[in-house]
Amino acid sequence: MARISMMLLRLDGRVCCASCKAPIAAATDSWKARAALSETPVAGLPGAGLGVDRDVVVRQFSCPSCGALLDSETALPGDPFLEDMVSG
Amino acid sequence: MDPVTFSIIRHRLFRVVEEAVITLKHVSGSAITNEGHDLMVSLYRADGSLLMGGVGFLHHLTSASEACKSIIRRFEGDIEEGDIFLLNDPYTAALHTSDVYLVAPIHHDRKLIAWSACFVHVFDIGAMNPGGFAPDATDIFSEGFSSPGTKLVSRGRLRQDVWDTLLNMVRGPEMVALDLRSMIACNNVARERMLSLVDKYGPQTVDEAFRLLIEQSEQRLRQRLRELPDGRWQSRQYLEVKGEVFRVVLTMTKSDDSLTFDFTGSSPQSRFSVNCSKWASLGGLFAPLFPLLCYDIVWNEGVIRPITMVAPEGSIVNCIRPAPVSVATVGAIQSVNNAACSTIGKMLMASEKYAEEATAVWHANHFAIFMFGNNQHGRLAIGILTETFAGAGGARTFADGVDLGGEIPNPISRMANVETIEAAFPIRYLFRRRLQDSGGPGFYRGGAGGELAIVPHDAPDGGMHYVVSGKGTKFPQSEGLAGGFPGGVNDYVWVKTPTTGANADPFAQSLPDMAGEKMPVSWGVFPLMGQDALYVRWNGGGGIGDPLERDPEAVAHDVLDRVVSPAAAAQVYGVVLSSDGIDRDGTQQRRAALRRGRFARGTA
Repeated sequence: MARISMMLLRLDGRVCCASCKAPIAAATDSWKARAALSETPVAGLPGAGLGVDRDVVVRQFSCPSCGALLDSETALPGDPFLEDMVSG
Repeated sequence: MDPVTFSIIRHRLFRVVEEAVITLKHVSGSAITNEGHDLMVSLYRADGSLLMGGVGFLHHLTSASEACKSIIRRFEGDIEEGDIFLLNDPYTAALHTSDVYLVAPIHHDRKLIAWSACFVHVFDIGAMNPGGFAPDATDIFSEGFSSPGTKLVSRGRLRQDVWDTLLNMVRGPEMVALDLRSMIACNNVARERMLSLVDKYGPQTVDEAFRLLIEQSEQRLRQRLRELPDGRWQSRQYLEVKGEVFRVVLTMTKSDDSLTFDFTGSSPQSRFSVNCSKWASLGGLFAPLFPLLCYDIVWNEGVIRPITMVAPEGSIVNCIRPAPVSVATVGAIQSVNNAACSTIGKMLMASEKYAEEATAVWHANHFAIFMFGNNQHGRLAIGILTETFAGAGGARTFADGVDLGGEIPNPISRMANVETIEAAFPIRYLFRRRLQDSGGPGFYRGGAGGELAIVPHDAPDGGMHYVVSGKGTKFPQSEGLAGGFPGGVNDYVWVKTPTTGANADPFAQSLPDMAGEKMPVSWGVFPLMGQDALYVRWNGGGGIGDPLERDPEAVAHDVLDRVVSPAAAAQVYGVVLSSDGIDRDGTQQRRAALRRGRFARGTA
């Protein structure tokens, strides 16, 4: 078992949720593509500011099994996921 | 080498830098140097390689090294004892024209043994806009004078012709003269202390210690990298100027004992002055690397050796002359900082041993607001609102970010007292405080940024004007980690003189309380005249972890402390509060509902 982040582990060649240990994707694949994705417009967050771009969102990638939030990233529509990969 | 002697020499080098910084501050007369600590002092070996990086803005450590090397090439055969050289050309080594380097060779027995270097952001550089940041510039020729290398002091004597020429090109020459003199004094002190060190231990011993110090740093960083997992991590930053969006895209790859920072995919260079040169990008990625990976390693050439940077030519992170770059330090460079901080944080988080060193992004958006005009003392005043240096800490893996906690690239940054600014400028603060909901939500919350409002006061001309080079209003840039949300964004609001005839409330305590038309501004020159007001809010740090897992007691405390609003407590943290405190059942239900909502869109 190896750590990928505070929220993700690598177990038996798979990326797994650190909370429930459920496998999400093969370690060589994009785990984000297998996660539950929800998007929150930044403009809709409390204290968002007057000038915030209407299209920018916080992408939230959650465990499809237990709903734990695994990662987030700021993105405009159409921009690819940020892909992080730990070797080993 | 005898380890005790080595250790003594190493510590003496720290003290040399520290004393030179104190000298710089004592002689300087500007708040940006004394209060904001927009400065840097460092030491270099005879060949210009970094020997001892000092405190201040860390982006400059590698750039000043290149400045020394450039001076060595340009003035070959003409570098003499007592010389001091000025360099501020961003396409040679500097970050932008207003951060002027003064680099000085240190000779012992007529042999070049080392260099000292320092910079301050000078009072003015003769750019089209006062203060050096020139949002209206279309090329570097509009950004003030830029020298690829000039001998300012020759054999200990000031070159009066050069001095007069420089001061003839700037606003407030007496203040620029003070800036330059502070740097001359700084270099003189560094030289004297270095020579005292050499006199005591001998040039061979000291040079051997220098060599070992660099070797030791390289070995220690490579060892640290070997302890960290191999992998690849990405980050992306958005910048916006007048409706145009630019991206700084970073892929950081760690393999064995080396790191590569690849900015391929970043936007082409801009017509706006947010670009940066390759030396600036290199400095930008090292600014978070030094404190995050080398917190116990001397910052020198040895740290640079394991690192490779790829920055496509013609991109926003490696622009081609004569592209404008005056806003680089708060533009592309800061985005490089942020992106590197994010990828390094992710890498550290992947290690059991080093996870506690990981951090979300701190204070990702400086707001470079330079005020200018005649002050209450009848003098031209130009200067930055130093609150930009107050910053906000990113969350760590063990604690919240520090409210107004500074920034990663400058470990000693801070803001001036309100009274200091009011004494130098004809303005009055209506308020200055932490900004609610600015810290990125998370299991650990990002530190709060701040907000302020100022009005003209006792101004002989009825007020003054300000230059704003403000990215960061459209996109949050203080990225979170492991699910943490980014910190909030900046806002700059020109509250225009009321046209209703009613007087503005002279004691307004919030933006909604302020009478007049509220016009968001971010790029250019604007008035603060008559009954105008300027409202500014700045970003918080990024959060770490799931906000729905944050201790409800901590959320309730944040609400009580006005750092988090009741709306954010419910909407983002899922904490339901009542007049009796935390509604435990309501919170449990709310969090369960928010968690279910994460499945609404299915998988990506």
